[in-house]
Formats: sequence, C-alpha cells, structure tokens
Amino acid sequence: MIKKFSFVLSLCLMILMLAACGSSPAKNGQAANGTSASGEKVKISIWHNFSGQDLRAQTMRGIIEQFKKDHPDIEVDEQAIPNDGYRPRLKTVAAAGEMPDLFIMWPGSMTEEFLSGDVIQPINELLDSKPDWKNGFLPNSFSGFTFDGNTYAAPTALSPTSFLYYNKGILDQYGIAVPKTWNQLIAAIQTLKQNKITPIALGNKAAWPAQSSILSSLADRITGTDWFLNAAAQKGAKFTDPQFVDALNHLKQLSDLGAFQDGSNSIDTTQAEQLFAKGQAAMMIDGGWALSQISSNATKEVMDQLEVTVLPSIQGGKGDPNAMAGVVGTGFGLSKSVTGEKKKAAYDLIYALTGPEAQKKVIDSSQLVSYKVEPDPSKVSPIFIKAQKLIGSIAFTPVYDTVLTSAGTDAVNNGLQELLIGGKADDIAIKIQEAQEKALKD
Amino acid sequence: MVPKQTAAIQSNWMNGQASIGFRRLKSSLKNALLFIYAIFTLYPLIWLFINAFKTNDEIYSEPFALPNQWHWENFTRAWEVSGMGTAMVNSIIVTVLALALTLLLGALSANAIARFNFKLKVPIVGLFLIGMLIPIHSTLVPLFILMKKVHLLDTYSALILPYAAFELPLAIFVISAFMSSLPKEIEEAAFIDGTGYWGIFWRMMLPLSAPAIATVSILGFLRFWNDFAFPLVFINKTSLKTLPLSLSVFSNGYSTDYSLTMSAMALAVLPTIMIYLFFQEQIMKGMVAGAVKG
Amino acid sequence: MPSHTRARGFLAFCLIPSLLLFALFVLVPIVWSIYYGFFSWKGIGDAKFIGLDNYKEVLHDPVFWGALKNNAIVICASLFGQVPIALFLALLLSKSNMFQRFVRSAVFMPMVLSSVVVGLIWGYIYQPQIGIFNLVLDYLGLGSFKKEWLADPKFAIYSISLPIVWNYIGPYLVMFIGALKNIPGEIDDAVKIDGPGPFRKLFAVKLPLIWDIIKVAVVLCISGSLKSFDLVYVMTGGGPAHSTELLATYMYNNTFAIYRYGYGSAISATILIISLVLVAGSQFLMKGKSR
Repeated sequence: MIKKFSFVLSLCLMILMLAACGSSPAKNGQAANGTSASGEKVKISIWHNFSGQDLRAQTMRGIIEQFKKDHPDIEVDEQAIPNDGYRPRLKTVAAAGEMPDLFIMWPGSMTEEFLSGDVIQPINELLDSKPDWKNGFLPNSFSGFTFDGNTYAAPTALSPTSFLYYNKGILDQYGIAVPKTWNQLIAAIQTLKQNKITPIALGNKAAWPAQSSILSSLADRITGTDWFLNAAAQKGAKFTDPQFVDALNHLKQLSDLGAFQDGSNSIDTTQAEQLFAKGQAAMMIDGGWALSQISSNATKEVMDQLEVTVLPSIQGGKGDPNAMAGVVGTGFGLSKSVTGEKKKAAYDLIYALTGPEAQKKVIDSSQLVSYKVEPDPSKVSPIFIKAQKLIGSIAFTPVYDTVLTSAGTDAVNNGLQELLIGGKADDIAIKIQEAQEKALKD
Repeated sequence: MVPKQTAAIQSNWMNGQASIGFRRLKSSLKNALLFIYAIFTLYPLIWLFINAFKTNDEIYSEPFALPNQWHWENFTRAWEVSGMGTAMVNSIIVTVLALALTLLLGALSANAIARFNFKLKVPIVGLFLIGMLIPIHSTLVPLFILMKKVHLLDTYSALILPYAAFELPLAIFVISAFMSSLPKEIEEAAFIDGTGYWGIFWRMMLPLSAPAIATVSILGFLRFWNDFAFPLVFINKTSLKTLPLSLSVFSNGYSTDYSLTMSAMALAVLPTIMIYLFFQEQIMKGMVAGAVKG
Repeated sequence: MPSHTRARGFLAFCLIPSLLLFALFVLVPIVWSIYYGFFSWKGIGDAKFIGLDNYKEVLHDPVFWGALKNNAIVICASLFGQVPIALFLALLLSKSNMFQRFVRSAVFMPMVLSSVVVGLIWGYIYQPQIGIFNLVLDYLGLGSFKKEWLADPKFAIYSISLPIVWNYIGPYLVMFIGALKNIPGEIDDAVKIDGPGPFRKLFAVKLPLIWDIIKVAVVLCISGSLKSFDLVYVMTGGGPAHSTELLATYMYNNTFAIYRYGYGSAISATILIISLVLVAGSQFLMKGKSR
C-alpha cells in the first residue's frame, strides 16, 4: 500500500502544481469595471437568481440568451446563482467592494441599504427615454425602488402576498359563505374545526409567511397604511401603539381557535401549498408565488373549486378593506461604477429584461407582473387568471419586510412565530418596537 | 481417584458447555441489537434511494412508502439538468488534490509535533487549534478579498488551498495522536541502523499511521466533497462548479423539486460511499506489520 | 544520533509549509474578521470604528446567551452521546467479518449524506401528523406524550440534538477502531492469560493506551459542536423564535441576512474565545493517564 500511496501522492502533487500555475495569473476581472478599450467587445456582468427549473426562471434565462444572440458585440458574463446562496454571495462581494455590473435586487430596504452604501446608480435616464414603457407599469411599481426622486430598478414581477385562496367546494359542503368580514371568518373557522377540516393551511417554518402574507394585510386593515409607514420611520407612531397590539391579537385569535394546522411553524410554504392543492385545507393565505405550486399540484377537480379573494374586512379598522399587501418583484440594480459604453449595453439589457415584451413573456409563464398586460389563457391555469383579474381591481399596501429594516423584520418574524405558539402580543410588540428603533439609530 | 477426577473434569466440561451456550445466546442477542441499530442508522440512506425513484407528488403524500412506479428517468434528468458530469469531475479534482495536500503537510507536521520536543511546540499547536474553532462563514469575506488580490479566484486552487488549510488542524491532531502512541524504541532502533529523519518518517511513521491517515482521508474527503460555501463565493465559471452547487439548481427559493433533488443526491452520494468503503478496509488492514519485532 | 542542526532542519521542513499555508488562508482571515468586529458596518459602504461596542453588545445580547445555552446542550449531548457510544461500538465491532463490516458502515453512513437530506428526513420523522415519532407513541398508547417536536420552543433544541448526535458518531467510531487496532497484539494476549474480567481489561488496560485518541476525540467533539450549523440551519433555521438558535447560525444571520456585518464578526470572535476556553479546560481535565 505504501508504494502505491507514495506514487499517487507524488502524482497528485505534480498535478497540483500544474493546476495552480496553469490557471492563475492575469486571471480575469470578472469584476473588472470601467470602460473597455475601443474596438474590443463590451463586457458586462449580470447576476441573478433565476437558476431553477421553473417556467419563470427558464423564461428569464431565455431572455438573456436571446439578448446575447442579438448583441454579438457585447459579452455578457451571466451568473445564475441558486436562491439560497444568492444573498450571501452578493453580500460577500459587496463587502469586498466587487459588485457585478447588474444584479437582482429586492425593493425596499435592500435597495435602500445599497443606496446608503453608495454602490448603485439611478436608471431615470433609461426610463425617461421610453415613456410608453414607463407608463405601462402599474401604479406604485417603482415606489420600492425610488428614493429621493431617483429610481434604481424596474420590477420584473409582482408579488401580492395576501391572497385569500379558498376551496369553494369545501365551503359549500358545510354551508359556509365566502367570508367577507372578520366575524364571518371566525364563524367559518369554527364550523370547519367542528367538522375536522383544516381551516387555513400555513407553512411558517421560514418565519416570513406569517408576516408577509398574513400580518401585513391584517394589520393594515386595522391600523391603516399611514400609521404603518410612520411607525416604520419611527415618526409619531410606535409598534407598541394599541392598534398594532390589536392587530397582533387578531392573529392570535386565529391561532388560538386552531385555525392553522398543527405544526405550522415547522413546515414550509411548499408543504402548506401542497396541503391546499390536494383539497385538504379549506383556505390558505399566501402570495402570488403559490399560484404555480397550486397549478402543478392540484387535480382538475380540486382546481375547479379554487378561487381567490382578499382578506375579510375588519370593523372599525382604518385600512382599505379592498386592499392587499403586495410588493413588486425584484429588479436589476445597476452598479455605480458602470459608465460609458458599458452603461449603454447595461441599459439595453435592462430594457430587454423588463421591457413590454419581457413582461408579456413573464406573465405567460404564470408569474404576475406589475405591468399592464394580459396573459394568454392557453398558457396559464384558471386560478392564475382569476388572481390576475383580482389584482386589477384592488389597491396595494406595503409588505412589512420591504419597509422595515432587516433587524425590525427579524423581530417581527420571530415574534410571530412566538405568537403562533402562545406568546403574548404586548411583549412581542415591545420587542418589535425596540428592534426597529435601534436599527434606525445605527 | 480417577472417577473423582473424571467427575470433576466432567462437571467442569458441562459448566463449560453451559457457559458456551450462554455465551452464544449473549452473542446472538448482541448481534441482533447491533443489526437493528445498523438498519435504523442506514435508513436515511435507503430512504434517499427509494425517494429518488418517486415523483414529487408521491414524496409529499407518502414519504415513507415505496414508489408506485420506479422512475429511472429521474436520474437521467437530474444528471442533465444539474450538469452533474462536469460538476463531478471538478469535485473529484478538487477533493483529491486538497486531500493529497492535507495529508502530506499534515503528516509531516504531525510527525514533528508527535516525535520531537521543541520550544515553540505549544504556541504552534495552539495556533492550529484556533483554526479549528472558527465558524467558516466568518472568514468568507476576508478570504474573498485575499484571493482577489492574488488572482486566485475562479481557479481550482481557490478551493484546494483553503480546504487543505482548514483541514490541517484536524489532520495534525489525529495523526499526531496516533504517532505519539507508537513506542519510541522503533525510532531508536532505526537511528542505530543509520536511517535519517526523513527515512524514519517516510518508511516507518507513515505506514504505521495508516489508520490515522485513512481516518483523516475519510473525513477530509467528506468535508471537501460536500462543501457549499467556498465554491459558491470563489468560483464563477460554470465549468468549474462543484457538485453541491449543481445540486442546488432544483430549488428556486419558493419551492423545491424534491424528486430531482433526491435523485441527484443519490447519484452524488455514490462516490462517497465507495471511498468510505475503500478506506475502511485500509483501516482494518493497517497493522503493525512487523515493525515491532520480538 | 544525527546532529542537532539536522534535527532543526528537518523540523523546519516538516512545519514551515503547513504553517505558511495555514497562516495565509486561515489565520489571516481570522484576524481580519476579528478586526471587523470593532466596526459598525453594514457590509457595504462605510464602516464606523466603534471600539469594543459590538463586543459589549454581544455580552448583553439575550439571543446570544440563548444560543450559547443551546450550544452547551449540543456539546453535552455530543460528548456524552457520541464519544461513549462510538467507544462502545468500537469495542464491539473490532472484528473483520462481513456482519461487523456491515454494521460499521451503517453507523458511518449518515456522515455521507448531505445535511439537506438528513434534515429533510428528520423533519418528516418529527412531523406532528404523519411523523414516525408521534405514530409510534400513539401505537404504544402514549398518545398524551405527542408533541410538536420541532415547533415547540420548549424542547425543540433537544429534538434537534438527537439527529446531530446520531449523525456524527461515524468519525469517532472510525478513529477508535483504528486506535484499538494499533494496540500491539502482545498486550492483548498477555492480558488474556492473566485473566482479569472484561471490564477491568477495558478500564485498566485498553483505555489508557488509547487515551491520546480519546483526548483528540473530545477536542473534535467540542469544537465540532460549537461550530454546528448545517443541520440546524436546514431543519429549523434557528427558530421557532430563536429556540434552536446556535452560535454559528446567529452569526450567519447577522452577517448575511441582516446588515450587521461588524456585529456578526464580533460574535465569531466571541465564539472563538469561548471555544478556546472550553477546549483548554477539557484537555486540562484529561491530562495524564496516558500509557
């Protein structure tokens, strides 16, 4: 064994040295910024998280492929990064000062943090140069990406977070009308519990569903949007205010009634969506992203029973009862260091990815968009069409995690998990208030 | 006289028989328990392979049942979609080279620490210890900046060198623990024979530490093969991506295609099983091999 | 005996390459990372020097102490679970027949799987409705003991310790078997002739001979438990409500999920110090006893 071992060892060392020498020096600036010499290809790098096998990811990658074909003079270095690793990787290179030229960016706090770190530049120029395109977006599409009058990205998608999905068949079976008020919802839950049907499917393992899908809209019904924005900015409103605690208590009420299935804090959204898609839960409060799950997993019989609406209204609440929390999807941020020829190429790529044609392709891949365009009924499922129609008739309110600082969001997410297993609303409200207050001071 | 002795011998023999019977019972009981434990521990692996044949639907609704149909095509799809061919080759190259480097440097240093006494020994051991205690994620950013500066990014060395560096403490500790349990007499005998330090190391210490080396090989192999963080951040080129990266294409943040993920993992796990079995043999065989002569 | 200078030269040759590689790729980043701990930094843009503020905050942070407590639970579970079990199994499984090889491999197999798979499967085992745990309890008529194993903060951490311990028994088993094999055959024979019972054989003879390896196993166990990340991250992400938060997951979240890079680095440095103390302590307690 020893002779073999030492032989293999020496071989390996030789290969190692060759590999090390062969590949290093003068190695690329995959993050090389600045203008390129004239006559050479313009190089731009783009990072995104459309690395999956779902239709939308394939569509986005397809658009980039097409762009490469249409622009042989531009070299596009494309990095499709798995979603789990996307943010850690982006933040690592950001910390090292090596941003890619274009990169997927979440609206709201992420954009704001990047802005305060001075690493992105506005795309007002691009938007203004194509007014038809700019006006094709639904109202408020840019608010998450706009600060001080400067817009930093255009959204590639729309994510309403609080659809109230329901299985009409189950509701009819027990003589329950679609709940339009809170009390009706409570009554519905009680009836369903008596008949041993899971009232609302919830998969809160990742902690954000309870916050984005349920609380964002529920709280808005009670407190109204203005209060929330003030509290988030800590200007004249606090999270310890009675209306917010009231909102928390409403959620607690649902949990205490057993509206959610057992162990909802330890299963993920996919599993909850599965439950609903199989007709094992009467309702589900979830976002637009659930549509594709439901489409691929529901049998035709179940699918025919599925409908969507908004959360019920709450008496005495200050919020718009016909509104839903929602946020535009991610957009492509542009690194500050991109100038000249590269900037023009980058602009073209941004337009290719978020322009009217792209928006149509995306909606046809069963992903809602923040743009005025209709899906092709032959390409999407019935429930998608119902959801899309619903969107046209409602107003959007902010989602908590896009407005709060990340520390504040963390506090809400964790607080809600605690609430769902019996925590006290007052204590949780205090924790949230402290976290947001502290984060804003830093 | 004789009958008494015979009686004594006979009763002893019968006691012996009884105790043999008892021992057999004890040993079958022991084996039965071990077998149950083994199946229990092996179950997740079995579960993985069974699920690799199922569709997503089946995985959700009946995670523990056998598949209705054995979908062999899951494997081919998983292979293609994740680009497993290239990824596996890259993983093999990186892992083997990192392992070689770790073993070579680790054994050398272990030799120094286990068989010699010198002033700086304690601080040096302490330094290596520190390296084992830090969560790797905190070193990601500094490493990234460092590698950028020396132009190592996007190369095999970007993975091989830090892997070896981080595994060194483990290698050194395990191998030196083995080496220090070897008797000093063999060394002295060799000196008298006229062998130099290098000879002692190469021809005696190394072979005698075969179990330790095999152990470190298994652990190192697993660590390098399954690592996700370093290739994620240090490698850009798809042609250089390693296996764990390619396995994560099946989820998009909102939902995961579990059936393809399982098939891909089932494929990815096969080499590790083979390596483990190979090295396990080495450990069992690795013996004192005549070095301690009478 | 060869000369002193030759000894020195050889020593240098043995140690310097390792030290260089290690210093460059491990020590430098560690020091750098500790340095970041002195800043208030979001990970992008400017960093503000704030001296020891981060570290002070760490010491007052209830989530940090909660995580430390969780790690302590994991360490105890591992130390008193993995090491003794591995030792026990190593003694039982030191023969070369097929059956024993099978059992040894089985014990090791969980190591081979990625934590995603292990996490998934234990997630299913612990599932309140269809998981095996609760089903078995029902079957045994102990239905009142059923719980939401991973969702209830009161003992989620204990539920998680089980897969962690069970998963990593393999390496220790391998190490101990190797160590036991290394005990020269004569000692074994000599002991058989003298005839002490199996327990005395174990404690008086075998254990001291492999004490060095046991010491190393303890160090690895403690350091590994303190760095525990993968399984917990996949199974619960540190939730619900921080009840399964470990030091490493907390650090990860602070560094990559929310924008408190400086704070995350301070947490890392603190983990380092605590680990050093624990390891040094364990080695001190285990001194002597060899050979």
